[in-house]
Amino acid sequence: MRSNLEVVRALVVRALNEITRVPGAALPGVLAPTIFLVGLSGVFGEAARLPGFDATDFRTFIVPVGLLQGASFTGAATGVNLARDIERGWFDRLMVCPAPRTTILLGIVASAALRALLPATFLLLVAFALGVAFPGVGALALDVVLVMGLATAVAFYAVLVALRFRTQQAAPLMQTAGFVAVLFTTAYAPKELLSGWLRAIATVNPVTFVLEGVRQGFTGSVTWADTWPALLAVAALLAALGSLAVRRLGRVGV
Amino acid sequence: MRAVSRPAIETVGLQREFKGGLKAVAGIDLAVAPGEVYGFLGPNGAGKTTTVRMLVTLLRPTGGHATIAGFDVATQPGEVRRRIGVALQEAALDLLMTGRELMELQATLHGIPRRAVADRAALLIERVGLEQAAERRVATYSGGMRRRLDLAMALIHEPEVLFLDEPTTGLDPTSRATLWDEVRRLRDEGTTVFLTTQYLEEADQLADRVGIIDAGVLVAEGTPAALKAQVGAPHLDITLGGPEPDVEAARIAVGPIGELLTPGPGARGAQLSLRVAEGAAAIAPVVRALDEAGCVVEGIEVVRPTLDDVFAEQTGHHLEGAGEAQPVVPA
Amino acid sequence: MIAPALALARRTLMGAVRRPQFLAPLVIMPTLFLAVNTGGLTRTTDLPGFPQVGGFLDFELAGAITQSLLLGGVMQGIGTALEIEGGFFDRLVASPIPRVSIVLGRILAGSAIAAGQVVWFLVLGLLFGATVHAGVPGVLLVLVIGVLAGTGFAALGVVLALRARNASTVQGIFPIVFVILLVSSAWFPRELLQAPASWFADYNPLSYIAEGMRDPIISAVSARAALEGVAAAAAMTAAFVALAVWALRGRLRDA
Repeated sequence: MRSNLEVVRALVVRALNEITRVPGAALPGVLAPTIFLVGLSGVFGEAARLPGFDATDFRTFIVPVGLLQGASFTGAATGVNLARDIERGWFDRLMVCPAPRTTILLGIVASAALRALLPATFLLLVAFALGVAFPGVGALALDVVLVMGLATAVAFYAVLVALRFRTQQAAPLMQTAGFVAVLFTTAYAPKELLSGWLRAIATVNPVTFVLEGVRQGFTGSVTWADTWPALLAVAALLAALGSLAVRRLGRVGV
Repeated sequence: MRAVSRPAIETVGLQREFKGGLKAVAGIDLAVAPGEVYGFLGPNGAGKTTTVRMLVTLLRPTGGHATIAGFDVATQPGEVRRRIGVALQEAALDLLMTGRELMELQATLHGIPRRAVADRAALLIERVGLEQAAERRVATYSGGMRRRLDLAMALIHEPEVLFLDEPTTGLDPTSRATLWDEVRRLRDEGTTVFLTTQYLEEADQLADRVGIIDAGVLVAEGTPAALKAQVGAPHLDITLGGPEPDVEAARIAVGPIGELLTPGPGARGAQLSLRVAEGAAAIAPVVRALDEAGCVVEGIEVVRPTLDDVFAEQTGHHLEGAGEAQPVVPA
Repeated sequence: MIAPALALARRTLMGAVRRPQFLAPLVIMPTLFLAVNTGGLTRTTDLPGFPQVGGFLDFELAGAITQSLLLGGVMQGIGTALEIEGGFFDRLVASPIPRVSIVLGRILAGSAIAAGQVVWFLVLGLLFGATVHAGVPGVLLVLVIGVLAGTGFAALGVVLALRARNASTVQGIFPIVFVILLVSSAWFPRELLQAPASWFADYNPLSYIAEGMRDPIISAVSARAALEGVAAAAAMTAAFVALAVWALRGRLRDA
């Protein structure tokens, strides 16, 4: 058990080298969600004048979208890095070491959870500077959990894609899924303002619950009614994608 | 008693068929004894790497089975992984990390307790002579240094069986020699080594026993000396001198001493090849006979069969990297 | 000059068609973005100041086309950079064809792909209930502006590739392209934009290109929008093609 934790820790430290040792490597991932937030709120800001937004300013409304976009980009990046490790043969090294495959998988995805905090922190700082109200410590703590959870879930998915295609050329497949999953929700408007088909998708999309869980602190106060579905959705995504990834990784080699 | 007699590596009818029906490995039987250095020799695409990947649990065999230290690679991969060290082709290293960090990561991956990690890493870095470079990022290492680091990483958990897949491909002669020394040292320490190579000299120099693989099947196996003896006796390459060398007279003169061979394509007009059972001992009688026939001898060279000759005899074609060897076929 | 340029353009097009995995992202990303914008912002057509439209999809089509065309330019840039990295470019330069044909071939391939992109989005729009108000002349106008703009974006890609000389730098330009489009009126009416988009939109040629294509979709052809659209696309294309030829000269001189 103890040595398994050591393995996870060692793999996380290695993954974080990417940020600490390659100048500028983290920059696009950190900036993109913030640019997305600032740009979109400038373009679509007037949408918040529609009845249904309850006087919430559009920028505040889409801060959670930026937070989850950042989480999803980071999760996808984990898969892209794994694909690179597969291409370069490093992955073989992991596969011939005696550590349990589940431990290795956790080592691979745990870094995504930590890295996801970077774009989230930057985005929140910019948002607060632009006048978005501070949601409170409790709400932020919940956001941290949800952002880390979603990043890990997307990382599980991206690992599945990386193991299937074994090339960095599959990167768009890893990135697009998370992008779509986050946007095909109540990202742009409350559910009653969505067009019929998008409302139908948003209703069953588990990421909608995560998004609403993050959003509640920004648009009002945190309630258990909006919190448990978000936690449950993240847990379900983690369980489903995580078990698929464990199975897939277990089948690598013999 | 099983522990003593069991082979370090054993395969029975080992096969790997890829999608589309390509049989990269088409039924290989081999047994490597503990402490033996086994050279797996063959050209590119012969099935060497596919065989190694099956033996180190990276690829599931589609037929036959294989055991490492008595454990089945397909059904007990965990036990196998605990006992093997692997240095695969194209040393896969993380260029962002330092040599020491990589060694420590490898130690952790192999379950070495935290308090022992640093010492163990330092010991192996010293062993492969990388102390000076240990704190530098691997990106700054030369090809030879990377291979040495890779080898040290493969040894971190003192494996019973070490797999080296083409450990010196692409290295300069000096780095190659350093790596060879390290393999010899491992043999002296009693580690079983399974070494794939496309270089004859490497197999000849390092291996206790050599298996020659071509197109997925083992075509010959034995000690280098025995394999070469199979091909036959050494021969003499004789170069005639003088203004107008009489090759025909020379052939008649040496004919009774050995078997005349047709010189290979690289030979010049004034050369002949003579297969002689006694090797160098035949030089004196040959020189005498030529002298008596009035032929001037410019040079005589003893040419011993190489593993490439073994390979050529078994497969009808030559190994890559064997270009310098003059092919000689019986007249 | 024309014949070798056309031959090279055909070669680039064949390469693109044979590898649909590189062509598909050009339309998939903007299509997804179009879908989510339309689904999420469908009710914004009720906002005071929003032009009279059949639906938000009608309004947004021109934005999606513009985004897709920009991605097409990035792709031509990456293609050129890969040819430079791989040495094929030098082989072309060393061949007896006029050198201008080399860049023109790439750019013309961009024009042809642009026509395909415009058609994709118009067909998609029609399938999902949008209409081109100005009818067949309107479709032709959208095609003219779209192909002109696509040609210009391809030329921009070639300029970047000739300067940067490696594909990853050209790829790094990608997010900037996205940002430039965000500060235009491609996605939302210019009168309804907020800062910082509103600061830039009036001076952003992408605004005029998108509006030039949008106008015949949502209303009858109006001379002003059409002229502004064609003029913006043509001016941009002329400038970038000239820069591409110039950058090629510079590259040959340096080499």
